[in-house]
Amino acid sequence: MKKFMHIFSAILFAAITFSAQAQNQGKAILSLGYNYSLPTGAFKSDLISNGSARGFTGDLMFTINHKWSVGLGFGFQDYYQKYPRAIYPTGNHEETSAVLSNSIQALPVIAKGTFMPLAGKAGLVQPYITAGAGLSFVSFRQYLGAFGNVSSSASFAAQGGAGVIIPFKKNSATGINIGADYNYVRYQHFGYSNLNNLSFHAGVHFPLK
Amino acid sequence: MKKLSIVFLVSAVSTFWFAGCSKEPLNHLTAEETRIYVTNYDSVANFSAYKTYSIADSVAVIDNGQHSRALSASDQAYIDAVNKYMQQRGYVLTTANASPDLGLTVNRIYNTATSVVTYNDYYDTYYGSYWDPYYWGYGGYGYYVPYGYSVYQVTEGAVSVDMLDLKNAKSTGKIGLVWNGLVRGEGIFAESNANAQVKALFDQSSYLKANN
Repeated sequence: MKKFMHIFSAILFAAITFSAQAQNQGKAILSLGYNYSLPTGAFKSDLISNGSARGFTGDLMFTINHKWSVGLGFGFQDYYQKYPRAIYPTGNHEETSAVLSNSIQALPVIAKGTFMPLAGKAGLVQPYITAGAGLSFVSFRQYLGAFGNVSSSASFAAQGGAGVIIPFKKNSATGINIGADYNYVRYQHFGYSNLNNLSFHAGVHFPLK
Repeated sequence: MKKLSIVFLVSAVSTFWFAGCSKEPLNHLTAEETRIYVTNYDSVANFSAYKTYSIADSVAVIDNGQHSRALSASDQAYIDAVNKYMQQRGYVLTTANASPDLGLTVNRIYNTATSVVTYNDYYDTYYGSYWDPYYWGYGGYGYYVPYGYSVYQVTEGAVSVDMLDLKNAKSTGKIGLVWNGLVRGEGIFAESNANAQVKALFDQSSYLKANN
């Protein structure tokens, strides 16, 4: 966790530095939001079926023109689930009865682009679609009872999403950002295949200058 | 507008920092949930062919490779529980000199590991200290640690129940371990927990059954 926070801090620092350098090229806009994530597919069936209410998301975007912007997306999500006691095969003829706990922390860092089809037109709500790809830094801890293993890795991640920005007032660049993303996270360790999830976020959206 | 942005930034970061706190799995386990029960068996053993057994009258205490015998109240509770569940499965208790088919032992196993704590690691003079000097009202100060480390020991324990094949010892020339049950976790040495621990081992070993 501490390692991840160091990586997160380094990325945030780099993004802010880049933002300062890019000030002459376009407007830098920061979005920060609370994030709720629902595991899907094999992630849900094999590892965590509970939704996670412990997460946040952020985007640092640079406008290219009214409709398009590019930048960096980042975030953090903590997944945890405890399964009732069950018997697991743990060797040739070995069986272990245990309460199984899975704990996963994911920190995605994604290069992304955003398209706002109605930008520049009248209307309070501005819809947008977004897509990106990058890495998700994953810490996976699995415990049988109190005895566990820890694995950290970086996995390919891709994201597609949509949402709306609701300005606080007409023509304001500051507002509320509400949206949803589907996240593909390739995770091929210990026989698992992915950490795909559907996430919902809500937060604030404001220019940095 | 700038002030507004700063307020948003500070409030948002604070909110998301708390939202991002992760759940520590070990803090969400009861003592019972920390325990694991591991069983293993010899796949060529025919457990229904055994009829009688004998059990050692004390417990082997294996502590970092050193061994002794003991019989505490908890040890006796484990022996009693093994007797109970062996007899429930149809095996008949006999004495060691009456040529039992199976020999059973209960063992306490301790492993002590020695580690070093380095104070400079968590009183890092600069960024990374677990206790930010700000906590003491001295934000921006650095720590000074005049000594480097201390040594500490952690002991982990387990209880094992072993089942030995005495019936075929003469023909094979060896005493084979045909079944083993291992218990680890919190509270395993408590007398009051012994019966439940042994029951769990037998519950997941349905093949342990005499054919009487």
